[in-house]
Formats: sequence, C-alpha cells, structure tokens
Amino acid sequence: MNNTLIIGQYVPGNSVVHRLDPRTKITIIFFFVIIVFFANSFWSYAVLTLFGLLSMFASKVPIRFVMKGLMPIWFLIVFTFLLHLFINKDGILLLEWSFIKIYTGGVIQGIAISMRFFLLILITSLLTLTTTPIAITDAVEQILHPLKKIKFPVHELALMMSISLRFIPTLLQETDKISKAQASRGVDFRTGPVKERLKAVIPLLVPLFVSAFKRAEELAMAMEARGYQGGEGRTKLRELKISKLDIWIYILFICVIIGLFLTRNYG
Amino acid sequence: MKIKDMIICSLFAALMAVGANVAPFLTIGGIPITLQLLFAILAGGLLGSRLGSLAMGLYLLLGLIGAPVFAQFRGGIGSILSPTFGYVISFIFVAYVVGKLLEKESVSRVHYISAGMLAIIVNYIIGTNYTYFALTFWAEAPEGFSYIVAWSWMGAYLPIDIGVTIFALIMVPKLKKALNYRPEVKQKAA
Repeated sequence: MNNTLIIGQYVPGNSVVHRLDPRTKITIIFFFVIIVFFANSFWSYAVLTLFGLLSMFASKVPIRFVMKGLMPIWFLIVFTFLLHLFINKDGILLLEWSFIKIYTGGVIQGIAISMRFFLLILITSLLTLTTTPIAITDAVEQILHPLKKIKFPVHELALMMSISLRFIPTLLQETDKISKAQASRGVDFRTGPVKERLKAVIPLLVPLFVSAFKRAEELAMAMEARGYQGGEGRTKLRELKISKLDIWIYILFICVIIGLFLTRNYG
Repeated sequence: MKIKDMIICSLFAALMAVGANVAPFLTIGGIPITLQLLFAILAGGLLGSRLGSLAMGLYLLLGLIGAPVFAQFRGGIGSILSPTFGYVISFIFVAYVVGKLLEKESVSRVHYISAGMLAIIVNYIIGTNYTYFALTFWAEAPEGFSYIVAWSWMGAYLPIDIGVTIFALIMVPKLKKALNYRPEVKQKAA
C-alpha cells in the first residue's frame, strides 16, 4: 500500500512518452481535453482516437493500467450510453420490445459520448502513468511562473505540494503504527455498531494529529535554521529541458488539431 | 505567509489524503466511508478559514496532478469528470465556513451547531449540483434525468454525513487543546 502511494500511479519506463518534458505533456493534454468536445463526425473521432491509441502504444504502459484509470467513471460511461440508447428518438427504429424502443440516433449518440469519455480518460491517465507527481509539480511551477508578476505565490504553492507528497506515505505509515498500537491496548476498530467504531477513531486521530503537527513544527524550524526564504534566486535539483523530441510532438499534435477541424461536421 | 503555516497546510492536505483512505474498518453495506468530510471540518476548525481552505485546495491539486489521494486511492486530471468530484471542491468551502464560524475569540454552542449545519449544506449543494452538471453536460443526459433524481441519490448518504459532522465538531475542541496551535487570525484594527 505504501509503495504504491510514493510513486502514485507512475509506471517506470523509458519510452517516448516518458522522455517528453512534463510541460509538453501537460500542454498537449490541456488542449486535447478542449478539442475532444469539438469532435462531432465519424472521421473527427477517428483522428482523435488514432492519436490517443498511438500515444498509448508509444508509452508502452500495459493496457491494464490504463483500464484501471477508466474504473472511476466506468459507471458514468455505461449510464450515459444506456440513457442515450433508450431516450434518444432520432433516426430509424432499430428494435422494439414491449416499451423499449431503440433508434439509430440513440446508438450513434451513445457511442459518440462514450468515445469522448474514453479518450479523455485515456489521455489524462497517460500523463499520470508516465510522469511522477513531483515532476508534474515542477512542470506546473514552471508553467505558472508568469503569474508571479501578479503576486500569485507560485513557488510557495509548488513547495507546499512537494511537502505534502513527501509526507503522505509517512503519515500513512504512522496511522498504521498507531492503529496497531491502539488495537494492542484493546481498541476495537472492526466490530460493533457504526457509532462505536467512530468513537474508536478518536484514539487514532488524536495521536496522528499531534505527531503531524509536531513534524510540521520541526520541519519549519529546520527550514528557518537553514535560511529558507522563498523562491528568489534558488537553484533547482531537477531541471526541465525542452528537447527536439518535444518539438516533434508539438508538430504532430498541431497536425492532429488541423486534421480534426478538417474532418469535423459543419452545419 | 509564515513558513510554519505553509507547512501545516501541506501536512493537513497529506492528512486529508490519509483520511480519505484510512478507514477500511468503517463500512456500511460494504462501501467504505471516507473520513473526508470529517477532515474538512477539522481543517476549518483547527486551522481557521484561510489556512483550512488553503489546505483543502492543496489536497484537490494533489489529486489532480495524479497523486492517488482521493477516495479509493484515485487521482489524476481525469477525476474532474467523475460525478462525485464536486464533493472534493466543496471541502474547500466547508473548511472555509467552518473556519469562519469557529475562529472567533469566544465560541458558543450555537456557533458549533450552525457550523455543522452549514458544513453539510455547503457540502451537499456543491456536490449534488456538480453531479447534476457532470451528468447533463459531459454525458449530455437527456430529459429523463432530472434534478430531483440527482438529489434523491445523494440523500441516501445524509444520515452518515450528519453523524460524521457531529463527531467532527466534538473533536474540534479536543484536538485544539491537544495541539495547542493557534492560527493567525487577522484582527481588525480597533
């Protein structure tokens, strides 16, 4: 459990998608999410699907990891598909069985909307599958850098995110330790009515919070003692670099956008 | 912002991630309850409105960049599409309203009760509207899906959430005493 959390959903690798600069990936995904909503014809969906599948195979991430990303909204996809199937009444009547009537319009609409979800999830989960959260944090800091001009605390935000990421596994471990310690003293978490079990959370929560706050205090003091004073003039451990590969991917993506608008249905 | 406040916010966001997933023993009908609402209220109560809502915002960002911090170890930008993402957004406002009510000098029982009620109201209004919005906008659900249907779905969780809220509000003064941490509240110039 702890190991999966440190690295998130990241699948280590050295594929083309892994080697891309995280800023490139974030930018492309940002625009992809927007243009998905412009697709409205068979060929425009085909262009986007081709790009999505191409990225997936280029990333060499096993398909079951991608499928795992689909799980949270699996229900939504099925639900919308059925809703469109049964309620949309455009086109030719395909099937009639007592009160259920299925029209071609419903089938097409249902498939189109499900495809949209599939593409969105596919491309966004590729980001988290091929990039560590810490790399994304660095990239976000770089992308938002211009906002510093309007006094938006970009560096502070990135620092806070890195600290959180660093401490999630620690706190999970701590929780595990405390709950075992309390269980050995006779606290029963697993049986009894819900109210009793909620009460059993108290001897877990109080030490957890106390230790978390103590850690915060120690860390703050350590940082102050080492003269931490914000982002001005700090150097970085991990430098981001735009390579030739990134530029090629940008060009490819612009082609996809052009392709989408050429095959789109106007009218 | 003081370094200590910044770090406390980060740690609270991390605590929230723990709270979303740490209670496998708290199940009702096989569905694990998350303690997210509990932690959101505690964030407001312990850190105050400003830092509390900041911590919750941080938690949301952590989830979006792909750390599996949401319930059932989920995360990633894709979670925006999930119909229950509205609850994650609502925690920012829950922490804010609870913090606003409880950060005063003298806090009475009335403050606690109204904080609890407001927390649930904010949580449900934002959460349910998001569900409705998600289903109508992204899924383009036709007329068959009405606003009332969305609300009746959510109503099923109400008793649990009320219980968790009451529990959270009992915990706030206890933890305050144990932690001995006073958030900086901007005092109006007298």
